Amino acid sequence: MRRTMSASRLLKIVVLGLALASAAMAAQTPAQIGKDIGNKVICLCGCQTSLNDCPMPHCDEKAAERHLISMDLAEGKAEPVILQDLVNKYGERVLAAPPAHGFNLTAWFLPGVGLLIGLFLAITIVRRWHRPAVQAAATPAVPLDGNLRSAVENEMKKYID
Amino acid sequence: MNQVGAVGLIAALVFAVYGMITGAAAGKLRSPRMLKSAQRAVLGFFAMTTLAVVSLEYLVLTNNFHSAYVAEYSSRALPVLYKIPVLWAGQQGSLLFWTWLLSIYVAAAVLLNRKKNRQLMPYIIAISMGVGTFFSMVTFSVANPFNELNLASASGVTPYAPPDGNGLNPALQFHSMVAHPPMLYLGYVGMAIPFAFAMSALMTRQLGDNWIRVTRRWVMVPWMFLGIGIVLGGQWAYHVLGWGGYWAWDPVENASLLPWLAGTAFLHSVMIQEKRGMLKVWNMVLVILTFFLSIFGTFLTRSGIISSVHAFAKSDIGPWFSVFLAIIAAFSLTVLFLRLDFLKSENRLDSIASRESGFLFNNWILLAAVLAVLWGTIFPVISKAIENVTVTVGPPFFNKVMIPIGLLLLFLTGAGPMLAWRKTSFQSIKRNFTFPLIFAAVVGGVIFYAGVHRLYTWMSLFLCAFVAASIVAEFYKGARTRMKSSKENFFAALYNLTMRNTRRYGGYVVHFGIVLLFVGFAGQAFRYETQGLMGPGDLLRAKNYLFRCEGISTGQKANYQYETVDLSVTKDGHALTVMHPERRFYMAEQQPISHIALRSNLAQDLYVVTEGTDPNSGKAIIHVIINPLVQWVWIGGMVILLGTILALIPSSIERQMGKLHKDQEEAVAAHHVG
Repeated sequence: MRRTMSASRLLKIVVLGLALASAAMAAQTPAQIGKDIGNKVICLCGCQTSLNDCPMPHCDEKAAERHLISMDLAEGKAEPVILQDLVNKYGERVLAAPPAHGFNLTAWFLPGVGLLIGLFLAITIVRRWHRPAVQAAATPAVPLDGNLRSAVENEMKKYID
Repeated sequence: MNQVGAVGLIAALVFAVYGMITGAAAGKLRSPRMLKSAQRAVLGFFAMTTLAVVSLEYLVLTNNFHSAYVAEYSSRALPVLYKIPVLWAGQQGSLLFWTWLLSIYVAAAVLLNRKKNRQLMPYIIAISMGVGTFFSMVTFSVANPFNELNLASASGVTPYAPPDGNGLNPALQFHSMVAHPPMLYLGYVGMAIPFAFAMSALMTRQLGDNWIRVTRRWVMVPWMFLGIGIVLGGQWAYHVLGWGGYWAWDPVENASLLPWLAGTAFLHSVMIQEKRGMLKVWNMVLVILTFFLSIFGTFLTRSGIISSVHAFAKSDIGPWFSVFLAIIAAFSLTVLFLRLDFLKSENRLDSIASRESGFLFNNWILLAAVLAVLWGTIFPVISKAIENVTVTVGPPFFNKVMIPIGLLLLFLTGAGPMLAWRKTSFQSIKRNFTFPLIFAAVVGGVIFYAGVHRLYTWMSLFLCAFVAASIVAEFYKGARTRMKSSKENFFAALYNLTMRNTRRYGGYVVHFGIVLLFVGFAGQAFRYETQGLMGPGDLLRAKNYLFRCEGISTGQKANYQYETVDLSVTKDGHALTVMHPERRFYMAEQQPISHIALRSNLAQDLYVVTEGTDPNSGKAIIHVIINPLVQWVWIGGMVILLGTILALIPSSIERQMGKLHKDQEEAVAAHHVG
């Protein structure tokens, strides 16, 4: 009973925590949203870095993208809408990662599928190669004489590391 | 000198073709005379590529702008230090450089194996000279650095030399850029030698443990250079690109990571073949894959099919590389298929809880990493070809996919070595895992209490503690055992233990370097940045640091104009330092570039960059980044290098085994030739 109570209390804490986290997310300032978007899109000047990281000075592309984001933020648009506006203007290439729909899904799923196939293969190989432990011989082991035993021990010492 | 270089190139091509043919003939006919001739061709190939390289450097150093290559990539004002890298600044020069490094590797392989591996050598020469033929042909035909500038007029063609050259890309005028490309090339090109060894072993059916023992070192050396190149590339990006990061999952970066990952998989799985005679086909596949990825990376980034920040290195060599890759794949897989009968496993797994299984899973993760990086890198090309849609696959994709893979790999780095060969008992697992797990749990608790609540960051640091503790425990246990058996003090025991099995303990040092790398990566989660416009007297706060602009000075050096912002920095109200971020404008190249100001310690980097002047206010645009734990990335790189060098030193056991093999080889060779 006590354990059930603790579990339910834990669940409540988790739910409350998640609610607070979502509230905190929802309460992001426009500057934070702008920064998040800047990490999710690339600068199209050819630098191949995210908009936030473009090192080019006086970069027209960076300025244009930032301008669009600022305008949208001023209008109170949400992040997904702003991202869509950027895609409408520049195409999907502006996104720093392919959106997970249509053919792009293969980009996201193939590494995972490869990982699983690899895991399956590794397990199959391990199981196929696995040799059951050989049963102990019925006959008792012959005791080593003193000379042979010390020779073996000396030999083994060489490889102790 | 243009003509001398061009003659060197033609002669190199002739030697390469001759070496390839005579090498193959020597292998087929088992002719020592032909082998000698092939060996001389290798030395001729080396001499002629050296002549071509020296000629090109001479043209650069003497500002001979009649040479199209020199006019394109050098200028009079370029400092001598940066005239040397002009050799690999452009496509043509870098391919010549590549060919030259290959000639050095092949010459080294021939000289080091004059009395060893006699049966393997003919085909090793044939294969590596085949690679040399390809690179010489490309350099000579489509990427010739010895083309001259001429003016066509009604009276005919007259030689032309502009008064000055275009100059070197300012982004390349940086100290680590002098070493970064050569290291990467040494890594890429060097993978041709293990490939040649593998193919030769298959062709001659010499598939005992000798070829794999020799090949391991020939993989380790380029693997080490590739690693150094990758870290230097990260340093270059960190210091030059001005965005405060060292890895952007750029296609060129990915291209260097691919063979490194495949080579890492080989260096692990090769141990199973050496110890247990297993995974023979798999090791062949890994050697082939590593070489294939080395060439594929070049094709990927230099053909221009994928855009990259390394855009200075593109041209029309794509079709040549496509054909070459097809030849490599077809040839190597055919030879492998024909020799499958000779690659049967000698043993089976005794237990699932064994070192062998650990290596198998390590290979699984590494190959999954190769697949993920490769797929993400080529996906834009595939999407364009199939959907006709241009997409970008950047850091958000790679971080999501690669972080879990990296963490799994980190776990295996610690867990794998704690498993015994053949079979690990439950007691042994309990004994070996208890201390590292307790230590990791303590560290995990402390960092959680200290505020590390992001899952991946916490897991990364938890696993770093686990792996580090497992490594320390391995050294400690080994030294204690040795102290008991040899009556040595702890430090002598530790030293002798390491030197007795350099490969094993060098490997642990490499693993420790990987731990430090991950500590550095984890720091990225706490990166802080801010930006502001600053004129004299203006203040900018970044966490507990306060920056005050003391003034902005301008001036001119031999090849660039500069604008330096002097910033005094206080920390918690106490004067700390003065930093001087600089904006440079390279006149010959007509390109601006930022020169960052950096204050580093083991806890964090204070990274300041000026992005030029704001046209409206006339003030400097100052970007401040507080980057925690970055230094651990560079330290980790150095530790990996030290560990690799340690693992390359032959241990006393290896020296004895090597002598035994050499004696056997000589006996076989005497019988063979006689």
